[in-house]
Amino acid sequence: MNPSDLRSRPIIEVKNIRKEYPIGDETVVALKRINLNVMRGEICCIFGTSGSGKSTLLNQLAGMEKPTRGEVRIGGVPISRLSENQLAAFRQKHLGFVFQSYNLLPNLTATENVAMPLMFRGVPREQREAAARKLLTRVGLAHRLDHFPGQMSGGQQQRAGIARAFIARPDVVFADEPTGNLDSKTTVEIMNMICSFARDYHQTIILVTHDPEMAAYADRIVTLIDGEIVRNEVNQKKERKTYEA
Amino acid sequence: MRPNDLFRMCVQNLLRRKSRTFLTVLGVFIGCCSIVIMVSLGIGMKESQEKTLAKMGDLTIITVNAPQSGRGKNKLDEALVKRLRTISGVEAVTPKQSLEAETINLVTGTGRRYLADWVSVVGVDTDEMERLGYQITEGRTAKKDGEVVVGQYLAYNFKDNMRPEGRNMVDRWSGDWDENGNLTNVPPPYFDPLKEKKMTLEIENDGKKVTIPIVPVGMTKEDYSKGSETSDGVILSLSDLRKILDKLQGNKKKAVPYNSVLVKVSAIDQVEPVEKEIKAMGYNTDSMESIRKPMEQEARQKQMMLGGLGAISLFVAALGITNTMIMSISERTREIGIMKSLGCYVTDIRVMFLSEAGAIGFIGGLIGCVVSAIASVVINLASLGFSPENILPAIVGGEEVSRVSVIPPWLLLFAVVFSVFIGLGSGYYPANKAVRIPALEAIKSE
Repeated sequence: MNPSDLRSRPIIEVKNIRKEYPIGDETVVALKRINLNVMRGEICCIFGTSGSGKSTLLNQLAGMEKPTRGEVRIGGVPISRLSENQLAAFRQKHLGFVFQSYNLLPNLTATENVAMPLMFRGVPREQREAAARKLLTRVGLAHRLDHFPGQMSGGQQQRAGIARAFIARPDVVFADEPTGNLDSKTTVEIMNMICSFARDYHQTIILVTHDPEMAAYADRIVTLIDGEIVRNEVNQKKERKTYEA
Repeated sequence: MRPNDLFRMCVQNLLRRKSRTFLTVLGVFIGCCSIVIMVSLGIGMKESQEKTLAKMGDLTIITVNAPQSGRGKNKLDEALVKRLRTISGVEAVTPKQSLEAETINLVTGTGRRYLADWVSVVGVDTDEMERLGYQITEGRTAKKDGEVVVGQYLAYNFKDNMRPEGRNMVDRWSGDWDENGNLTNVPPPYFDPLKEKKMTLEIENDGKKVTIPIVPVGMTKEDYSKGSETSDGVILSLSDLRKILDKLQGNKKKAVPYNSVLVKVSAIDQVEPVEKEIKAMGYNTDSMESIRKPMEQEARQKQMMLGGLGAISLFVAALGITNTMIMSISERTREIGIMKSLGCYVTDIRVMFLSEAGAIGFIGGLIGCVVSAIASVVINLASLGFSPENILPAIVGGEEVSRVSVIPPWLLLFAVVFSVFIGLGSGYYPANKAVRIPALEAIKSE
C-alpha cells in the first residue's frame, strides 16, 4: 500500500456505534460498540457468521439505518445524521452498491439498469447510456446490452450489478455477499472484477461475507462475533494475482 | 431526475401491467363520460330554454317605468336618459313615448282603400334603434322626418274597404301549426307596407284632428321585450312624435313625460346588476330576467343533479386508481428500495407514482372526452333524425336547432383537468406510502 494513503484521513470513520432492535418487550443488541476506520483505496472485508451483526454494520455504514448511538462519517460527512434527501444526494455522488441478489430492475435493459444512478443525478440519456455501454463492455457484457435481467444468467446479472455500482465513480462501494448466489468459477471472476475496478479508480470497497475464501481478496479483514469486532487485521496472505484481471 | 426520464419511467411502468392499467383507465373513462354527458344534457336543456325565451324577446332589454307612488319626483325625462347611459354595462338607451288619443287610424292605398284603427304609435330615439337590438328584417331605420319603421305584422291590422264587412281582413292565425308549435302556411296580408310608399296617420283627440303623412322605410321583427309596436305598431322618431303631440295640445304646450325608457345591456349577466342600480335610483324596471332567472335556476339544479350522478362514477374510478397504485407499490417495494439505495430522491419517487396515477386520470379523461363528444353527436342526431343534413347542426347547433346535448369546449377541458386531479388525488396516498419504503428493502433477502 502506498504510504501516503496511510497518512491520509480514513475515508470511513466509525465511532462507538451501538445498534439495538426492539423485539416485543425485549431489546436485542445487534452491534455493541464498534470502532472502525477504513482507509481510502482499501478493500475491507467484514467477516462473520450469520447473526454476527455484519449485515447490520453494513446498514449503518451505508446509511440504510441510523445507529442507536455513535456516529458514522464517510469522507468526513456524518451520514448517520443526514436527512433523507441529503442522504440521496450523498449516495448519488459517493456510494455504490453490489447486492447479493443483483437487484436489477426487471423492466429495464442492462444498459438502462447500469445507467440508473446517473439518471437519478440528472445526466442526459445519451450521455449516461454511452457510459453504461462502455462499462458493460468492460465487464464482458457487450453482447447483452439490451437484454433484460430475466434473459441473463446470475453471473451476467451480477456483472451488470457491478457496472451499476461503479458507473458514478463512487468513493465507497458496498458489496453485500456479492457472490453468495454464484458458483465458484464465477465467484473468482466477479471478485477479480470488483478488485480491478477498485484499484483503477482508487476506490474503497466494503465487502461483507461469511466466506473465508472471499476474505482472502481483502487488504484488511474485520471479524465480527456477536456484534463486536474481535479481530481487525491487515491481510498478509492477500492474493496478489487477483490484480491481474 | 429529468422530467423526460420521469415520463419514460411512468410510461414503462404503466405498460408493464397492461391489463391492469387498461382496466383502471376504463374506470376513469366511464366516469369522465358520465360526467360530460350528464352535464351536456343539462347545458342542452338550459340552451333550449334560453332559445325559447329569446324567441319571446330580447333578454338584454330592461324597461324602466316611473314609480307608482311618489309621482312628480322621479320623472322619465332627458336627465334620466343621460344618467342611465353612464351606468356600466349599458349599451344603448332610448326613451319611449306612446301616442295616446281617442282615435288613431292609419290609412293607405288609393282612395283610403286600406284602413287600420287603433294602431299603437310610439316614438323612440331612432339613432339608437340598431344598438338597442331592433332587428330590422327589411329596409332600414328611419333617418329623415316622416320616416317610420313598422312592426312585422302591421299589415294584418288593415281592413280592405273594397271587400265586404266580415271578410275584409286577413287572419294571421289562420295557418296551420307544425309539431314544434310554429305557424306555417300563414296567409299573406293584402299588401307589403314597405312597398306602399305613403301612409297617413289620422289622429283625433278632444275634438282636434291631426293628419300626418308617414313613409315606412323599414320593418322590425316582433320582440315583446321592446313593446307590442314591434309586432303591429308604428315606430316614429321622438321629434316626429313631439310634433304630433304639440299639434294635439294646441296652445297648452305642456311637457309630456316619457312613458318608459328602454335600456339595452351588453350581456345577459349584466341585466341583474343594471336593473338593481336603476331600482336604487327610484324607478320600476321590467325585463325578461324575472322569467329567465327561475328557469335558469331550475336548469342549474337539474344540471348539478345530473353532474353529481356522473361524479359518483368518477369517484368510484378514483378508488380504482388508488387500489391499482397500492397494488403496484406492494409489488415494487423492493424496486423502490433499490432506487433509494442508488440515490433516488424521495421527491422523484413521489413524482413517479403521482405521475402514474395522474397519467391514468389523464388518459381516461381524454378518451372519455372523445367518446362523450361522439356520443353527444349521436344523441343529437337521434333527436333531430338521422340524416346527412342534420350532422352539422348536431355538432355545432344553430339558431333554430335546439340540441339535447351540448358540450362546450370548457366542459371538455374541465373534464380532462378534473380527471387528472382525480388521478393525482387518488395517487397521493399510495405515493406517500411508496416514499416511506426504506432503502433497506433492497438488502432484505426474499
